[in-house]
Amino acid sequence: METNKYPKFNFKKRLVSMIKVDFRRMCTTPIYYIILGVALIVPILILVMTTLMVGTESVDHVTGEVTIMEPIFTNVWQIIASIPSTSSEMSLDLTTMCNIDMMFFAGAVFLCIFVSEDFKSGYAKNLFTIRSSKVDYIISKTLIGIVSGITILIAFFIGALIGGALASLSFELVGVSVINIIMCMLSKILLVAVFVPIFLVMSVIGKQKTWLSMILSFAASMLLFTMVSMISPLNATFMNVVLCLAGGIMFSVGIGSISNLVLKKTSLV
Amino acid sequence: MNAIEIRNLYKNFGQKQAVCGLNMTVPKGAIYGFIGENGSGKSTTEKMICGLIHPTSGTILINGKSHTDIDERSKMSSLIESPGCFPNCSVWNNLMLQATNLSITNKEDAVRKVLTLVRMEGAAGNKYKNCSLGMKQRIGIAMALLGDPELLILDEPINGLDVDGMRIMREILVDLALNHQKTIVISSHILGELEKIATHYGIIRQGKMIKEMTAEEFNAECRTYIALKSKDLEKTKFILKEKYNRVEEDEDGYLRIYDNVESSLIVEYLYNLNIIINEIKIDKVGLEEYYIDLMNEKKGR
Repeated sequence: METNKYPKFNFKKRLVSMIKVDFRRMCTTPIYYIILGVALIVPILILVMTTLMVGTESVDHVTGEVTIMEPIFTNVWQIIASIPSTSSEMSLDLTTMCNIDMMFFAGAVFLCIFVSEDFKSGYAKNLFTIRSSKVDYIISKTLIGIVSGITILIAFFIGALIGGALASLSFELVGVSVINIIMCMLSKILLVAVFVPIFLVMSVIGKQKTWLSMILSFAASMLLFTMVSMISPLNATFMNVVLCLAGGIMFSVGIGSISNLVLKKTSLV
Repeated sequence: MNAIEIRNLYKNFGQKQAVCGLNMTVPKGAIYGFIGENGSGKSTTEKMICGLIHPTSGTILINGKSHTDIDERSKMSSLIESPGCFPNCSVWNNLMLQATNLSITNKEDAVRKVLTLVRMEGAAGNKYKNCSLGMKQRIGIAMALLGDPELLILDEPINGLDVDGMRIMREILVDLALNHQKTIVISSHILGELEKIATHYGIIRQGKMIKEMTAEEFNAECRTYIALKSKDLEKTKFILKEKYNRVEEDEDGYLRIYDNVESSLIVEYLYNLNIIINEIKIDKVGLEEYYIDLMNEKKGR
């Protein structure tokens, strides 16, 4: 038998080959496209449905009080983020909950399924038999999580624009500039790097148990969820971007090393 | 230098001791038949060699270096329990993913070669989930062969294979060991097949290595016996039992005489008692019987 010999495995080569495999897998996994589709459709549905309901009347059968549905979203950018000065009043309304920040959970769903597939299929066995080091695995999965998270956010953003156009909502920039919106999106994109390491550590703890990884990821990210709207408001500035970048690097390195430790210390099958 | 050297290996799962002071030596270029009952610790040992689970204590050396050594591990390959393929991907894509993982330069060629080797070239486009058990085992072997590994750890690789599949597998493994100096650790319950290829044996029971030997030592240790068939087997058995110490009837209807005696003397003895022998042969105890005897012996203690 003549096949190509095992090359000398240096870290760079291992990492590059792992990233290639993971990206190839990501691009051929149906769940990725399903989540992207959901991220695109959700803002369209939210914006169109809430606009269609404006003006409808509902009657309280006990008191006979008539309530007329007020518009929830008056501006397209509300589904991306809110402005802090008004966030105290808006903290309990639908706009704070049904915005782009929800997509961090979609990222959790994708990464948990993606990682657990490695363990469920037995692919992890093949991988870790030939790879004693786990650092490349963690880096590669973190990158996959970040890229998928970013594409999900972009899909939501595009969906918001389409939804806004369909619902004839205002695209007017009230109290913010285009730069602010770009900075807001950039902050949210960088915040993906804060959440992904958390999802990854939960995924390597749960291994083939997708449900466990998801529950742990949701529970952990709920603790940070309120921080997202505060740190990446609609009127975000360069400072917000820097803060999110610092947080992303800190979480990726810190929690990434915890994931590495979990893989090293626990059974991989 | 040995390909694998294990000393005082222990693995506990909570209170349960899966591997208990195991010592194992696999010489380079050997086909090492790793035999044991279900739950004896074979798979656990193999997983520890592959670094998939961590030993509680003990040492595992691969080519004289720790089993966690990155370079040594990159020369290994395994097929443990299942091939480790993504069910919705095609056979070809699964192998391509592994080839990419291994940084093989000419991936298409390498994948084509291993598929040809396991006679699966026609099924490359099939989705993995649609493959039969036998096909999956072959894919697992193909995957393990990618990258030309020096050490192969195969857990039950011939399970689910048909007769032809087993023959192909046998040919592949012998070729790899003899002509390409690969070391192969193979665990299987199909001892008849293992006997045809193994150069070394390790028999494990309750997490301990109870016997380790070469194929030559095994052959020397295996008793020869005389097997015969006659018209009246019961009467023959009765008569032979009076003269010889150990006479047993096997599942194929042969009477086996384990005493150290010339076959001509048995023929003459029975002829004088008017018993006609239909068939007589000298044979050796096979691995399966040897293993069962060894297990019974250990249980009896």
